[in-house]
Amino acid sequence: MSQAWASDELARQLLRLRYWQHVMNEALKHKRFTIPIHVAFGHEAIATAVSAAMQPEDQLVLTHRNMAYNLARAGNLTPLYEEYTLSPAGVGQGRLGSMNVANPAQGVEYASSILGNNISVACGLALAKQVKQQPGIVIVLTGDGAMEEGAFYEGVVFARSQRLRVLILVENNNYSMSSTIPQRRCPIAVDAICRAVNMPYWPLAGNDVMGYARALEEARSAIAQGQGPGCLEVQLSTLCQHAGPTPGWPTDPKCISLERGFIVEDTPNDPAFVLKQSLGADQFDALCDEVLDEQRAWAPAGRA
Amino acid sequence: MGPGGARVMPSYLQAVNQVIASASAQIPNLVLYGENINTGSHICGMTRNLKTPPGGRLINVGNCELTHCGVGFGLMMAGVSSILFVKQLDFIVLGIDHFISTYNVVRAHRDPARLGSFTICVIVCDQGWQGPQSSFNALGDLCSLARVPGYALTNASDAARIVPAQLRAPGFRLIALSQRLFPTEALAPEVLADDGAGAVLQYSPGEDATIVCANFSFPHGWMLHQRLREQGMSAGVFGVNYVHPAPWQRILESVARTGRLIVLDDSKSVHLLGHSLLADVARQCPGARARLISREAEIDPGVCADQLAVEYEELASWVASGQPEPVAEAGR
Repeated sequence: MSQAWASDELARQLLRLRYWQHVMNEALKHKRFTIPIHVAFGHEAIATAVSAAMQPEDQLVLTHRNMAYNLARAGNLTPLYEEYTLSPAGVGQGRLGSMNVANPAQGVEYASSILGNNISVACGLALAKQVKQQPGIVIVLTGDGAMEEGAFYEGVVFARSQRLRVLILVENNNYSMSSTIPQRRCPIAVDAICRAVNMPYWPLAGNDVMGYARALEEARSAIAQGQGPGCLEVQLSTLCQHAGPTPGWPTDPKCISLERGFIVEDTPNDPAFVLKQSLGADQFDALCDEVLDEQRAWAPAGRA
Repeated sequence: MGPGGARVMPSYLQAVNQVIASASAQIPNLVLYGENINTGSHICGMTRNLKTPPGGRLINVGNCELTHCGVGFGLMMAGVSSILFVKQLDFIVLGIDHFISTYNVVRAHRDPARLGSFTICVIVCDQGWQGPQSSFNALGDLCSLARVPGYALTNASDAARIVPAQLRAPGFRLIALSQRLFPTEALAPEVLADDGAGAVLQYSPGEDATIVCANFSFPHGWMLHQRLREQGMSAGVFGVNYVHPAPWQRILESVARTGRLIVLDDSKSVHLLGHSLLADVARQCPGARARLISREAEIDPGVCADQLAVEYEELASWVASGQPEPVAEAGR
């Protein structure tokens, strides 16, 4: 990890992602967007860690729930917000909607709304690195729902067979839309799949952004050395509704509002809560104030 | 040379294979990949004699067509060109997601000039006797689904024009070979005009009829052209590919001159390229008469022969007689 990504900067970045997602959620509540949007409350720790671990030569391939990662890579709310308003000033010139937002200038090459579709594309990007003899790795996101697709297995086999520098990152939030894993399928042991093809596997849980950053750096380093692909499975909770604003309807049991502060849920499921436990309340509150001041300084007026 | 000094014409397969092998060997950093690409029969001969391009790769891959298609688009985004070789058009159905979804994202925001070239070379099992599966013969339907160009190679001349150009062109396309034609002698008609980089090829001028060949029906059209010539008539002969919008103004001009159009289409699609052409002819050449020779409405899904029935003499008589038949009632 570079010096720039000291622990306080990781904490600050996590809180920025949380704040920006609050802004997006409030805008959704006020129906400011015509496109469907998948907010990613609860994904901030892993998104911060992935972005911190990425080197300039690395590439990122995302899913439909790409908001936290795109915000982390852009380091700025405006390009994504503008994209959601279909503005030509958006990161994709207002042509990509929300589920396919890419930002090649910041390493985000592709995002797919089709479950399992993106792993093979990541394999192609990694194969291109081999052919062009370029350094770097390709990090591709998938989830516990997408890995049910045959494309997941195909991609694992292809990446391993060609020894591609691909890190497959499984975000396991236990949900595919509104169905939990027990409601829809048998358990799948990702570690066993990785063992079956002789591929390294790293499990992550707990939402500790500092620990996640160290783990990502270790995984990235192993893959960058050219030993072939690896898989990192992170347990997390998506704290908001599948799509649209939260609350999504008058009696929605989930309620998210910036007025309640940065933290959405006082449990280890919330990376902001875990950060507060780690830093202590005083330091956490000071960092939150710092982020709020910083964002007030350049957030477009009247947006949230 | 053959016995007695007679010139031995290559087969369709040999001619097409030679063009593919020669063109692919000259493209730097090109990735050639596919199942059984360099083992066994080399995919029925399609990939025989392939050489690893300079700086490129030749990869024999496992059985995962969906992933292979996605890989091609990933390479394309990175500016690396590739050719995926596939044994059967049926297998490509597994990769349609990428033609449509992935390529749409690429097309929505990437600079087309900076994309790599991605071509799928695929064999259509149109030789018959394959049974309920392995007989998918509707290249145009795949192209229409994803709004991508598709080229059906029907002779040595169209292969020589289309393959070298398309393998270098940024973006995506399908190039299909006919397994029915594999053992046949390669036709090598002179190309008189080429509109849209292989979209519409004209092989013959003519005054009595216009013959348009879609999918792999060119040998039928060429045979009909020769029959007409034997009877003192001439026909403009065209081959059309699945390129949208279709640049077939030259065909319309021919129909306006000859007044008689015969469209041959041996695909199994319900929505034929010929239907669009007939609609344009009806609008732009109102006095013209037309025939559409296509498959029967009911196609046996079981094991059977797989030939387009063409009544050459009857068609020649129709051209000679000038029997009235409005375009709107053409076809069967």
